[in-house]
Amino acid sequence: VTELAQRRFREFARGSLADGHMQAALDLSTARLRSHRLEAWHALPDAQGLRQRAHDARMRVIDDLDAHVAQFREALEARGGKTFFARTAEEASAYVVEVCREADAKLVAKSKSMVSEEIALNHALEAAGIRPVETDLGEYIMQLAGGHPAHIIAPAIEKTSEDISELLSAVEGEHVPPQLEPLAQAARRQLRQVFLDADVGVTGANFGVSETGSICLVTNEGNGRLVSALPRVHVALMGMERLVASLADLAVLLQLLARSATGQRLSSYTTLLTGPRRPGEQDGPEELHVVILDNGRSGLVGGRYREMLACIRCGACLNVCPVYRKAGGGAYGPVYSGPMGAVLLPLLVGLEQAPVHPHASSLCGSCTEACPVKIPLHELLLELRRDLVEQAVAPWPERAAFTLWSLAWSSPLGYRLSTALARLGQPLAGALGPGRTWARGRRLPRLGRRFRDR
Amino acid sequence: MRVQLFATCLGDLLFPDAVVDAEALLRAGGHEVEFPRAQVCCGQPAFNSGHRAAARRVARTFVKAFSPESPVVTPSGSCATMAAHYLPELVGCEPFDVWELSAFLDTHGGELPARNEGRRVAYHDSCHMLRELGIADAPRRLLERSGAELVPLPRPDLCCGFGGTFSVRQPEVSLAMADDKLGGAAGADALVTADPGCLMHLRGRSGRTTELPVVHLATALARGVA
Repeated sequence: VTELAQRRFREFARGSLADGHMQAALDLSTARLRSHRLEAWHALPDAQGLRQRAHDARMRVIDDLDAHVAQFREALEARGGKTFFARTAEEASAYVVEVCREADAKLVAKSKSMVSEEIALNHALEAAGIRPVETDLGEYIMQLAGGHPAHIIAPAIEKTSEDISELLSAVEGEHVPPQLEPLAQAARRQLRQVFLDADVGVTGANFGVSETGSICLVTNEGNGRLVSALPRVHVALMGMERLVASLADLAVLLQLLARSATGQRLSSYTTLLTGPRRPGEQDGPEELHVVILDNGRSGLVGGRYREMLACIRCGACLNVCPVYRKAGGGAYGPVYSGPMGAVLLPLLVGLEQAPVHPHASSLCGSCTEACPVKIPLHELLLELRRDLVEQAVAPWPERAAFTLWSLAWSSPLGYRLSTALARLGQPLAGALGPGRTWARGRRLPRLGRRFRDR
Repeated sequence: MRVQLFATCLGDLLFPDAVVDAEALLRAGGHEVEFPRAQVCCGQPAFNSGHRAAARRVARTFVKAFSPESPVVTPSGSCATMAAHYLPELVGCEPFDVWELSAFLDTHGGELPARNEGRRVAYHDSCHMLRELGIADAPRRLLERSGAELVPLPRPDLCCGFGGTFSVRQPEVSLAMADDKLGGAAGADALVTADPGCLMHLRGRSGRTTELPVVHLATALARGVA
C-alpha cells in the first residue's frame, strides 16, 4: 500500500507538472486568493487577537464535543428538525438515500459540501436511481468533467475558462464563449430548473450552533439558499466537529472564514437556518434533517491531533502551500487536499492507507502561518511522520538507514569514520538509492576536506 | 564576546568554505571563536523524517559538545531552528543560546567590507529561518551593508523545494519549486541563502539548468558573490 500510495501522489504530480494550463491556473488562482486574504487580514485592527479568540472558541467545543453534539441535537429537535448521528461514511450516505426514497425523490439539488464528497454521496444516490446535481458553479463544472473538487473552496481551480466553456457548451448544445459572463449565464440557465424541480436539497454546514440548533451556510452564489429553501426536504451534512457554542462564537468565526477563504469581509450570502418551516411561515422546507458525521473524528478528541478538529475548511493553507500549487488537489485523493488534507486524511483513514500524505510537504510552515484558527499544521505533519516510524508503517530500509546513521553519528569518532568512508564511496553516490534520485535533476555536492580538518 | 561555532554537518562536510567565512566574519566582528571539536549534528535530518529515536541519539552529541554558557552561532537557519526550538525538548536538556549567523552579526557584528559593490543580489529566505526564527531583515541588511543591490524575489515566501528527504521523496515537485526560485532570481548576479540545505539543492539544480551562482551568505559577505 505504501509504495502504491507513493506512486499515486508522484504520478499525479508529474501529470500536473506536465500540464501547462493547469500549472498556470493553479499559480494564478492560489496567488490571487492568497493576496486577497492578506489584504483582508491587514485591514483587521487585531488579526492575531482574533485568531486566538477563534482558536479558543473552536477548542472549547472540541474539548467537550459529545456534550455539544447532544446540546445541538436537542435544540434542533425542539425546533422540529431531525438529526442523525452517523458513525461512518456508509451510515451517513445510507441515511440520506433513505430520506430521499421516503420523499420519493428523483432529483436532488446539492450545494457545496465536502462531507458529501467524504461520504461519496453522489455515488450512493446514483446507485439508488436518484440524480444528484451540484449547483455550486465549481462543483457543477467538476461534476460535468466527471472529476472531484481540486480545492476545498474553489473546486474547479485547475480549470481554465476554455475548459469550462467546453463543458458547458456540451450541455447547452451550442458554443458558450469562454468569458465570465456568458459562462455564468449558461450555468445559471442550466441550473435554474434543477432548483425548481428538485425533490430534496442537500447542503453542507459551515457551522452548527450548539445553543440554538442552527446551521450556518456561507456561500457566494446564493445556491445554498435556493437548495435549502425550495425543495420540500432539506438535508444538511455536517462533520461533528463543526459546532460552535454560541451565536457570539459564530460571529468571531464568521469574521475569519470569508477573509481567509476569499479575502471578503463576509461572503455574499451568510445564511442561518434554525429548524424547518413552521406554521404560518412562507418559506423553507417541510422537513429538515441534519446528518452529523463522525467517521473517525471522535477518535481525535483529547489526543495529540485534536487541534485538527478546529479546521473551518477555509482553504487558506492550500493557497499558500508550495507543494499543493505544483502537485494539484487530485494528488492528495478525491476529497481533502493541501496541508489540511495531508493532515486530515491519514487521521480519518489510518496511516497505512495514507502513508505518503505526511511527507507531501517540505515542512515550510506557510500553512501554519496562514491558518486562521492557529492549527500547527506542519507540526502535526511532523507528528504523523513520527507515528509512521513508530508504528512501523515507514518502510524498513528507511528505518534501518536512519538507525545505522544515528549509531554512527552518536559520537565524533563514528562521525569521522563514517564520513571518511562516505568520501571513499563518493563515486557511487549517484548510482543508487536517494543519491540517484537526487542526481537526476541536480548536481551531487562533493565531499571534500572537512572544515574540522583544516 | 566568546562564541561557539556550530559548523553543522552539511557545513562541515559539503560547504567548509562557508564555515571558514562565517568564522572570519565573527572574528572580524571582534569575537573570540571557539570550535568545539566534539560537535557532530543537531539530528534534524532524522527528526524531520519522524525518526525520533535516531534524532535523539545524534542530538545528544550537540548537548555534549556545546556549553549553555556562551552563544552558539551557526551559519544555518534550519539547524539554528532545530537546536533552539526542538532539540531541548527532544533530549530533555536546558535551552542553549543559539544564534543564526546573520542575526548574530546584525546585532553584534562590526564593520563589513564592501565586497559586493555594484552587485545585484537576490536573497532566498529559508523557511525555518523566516517563519520559525522570524529572521528576514538581518541578512538583507548585511548584504546591503556589503554594498549589494538587493533584487526582490517575486514570492519570497515560497519554499525552494529542498525540505530534507522531501527532495528525494517528491523529486519532481521539489525540482519544479527550485526552478521557480531560480527563475525568480534570473535578473540577479547571484542568489544568496543562509541555509546549507537550500544551498545544496538550489546550487545542484542551477548547475544543471541556469548556472546562476548560488552562494552562502557567509561567503557573500566575507568574499563577495563573484
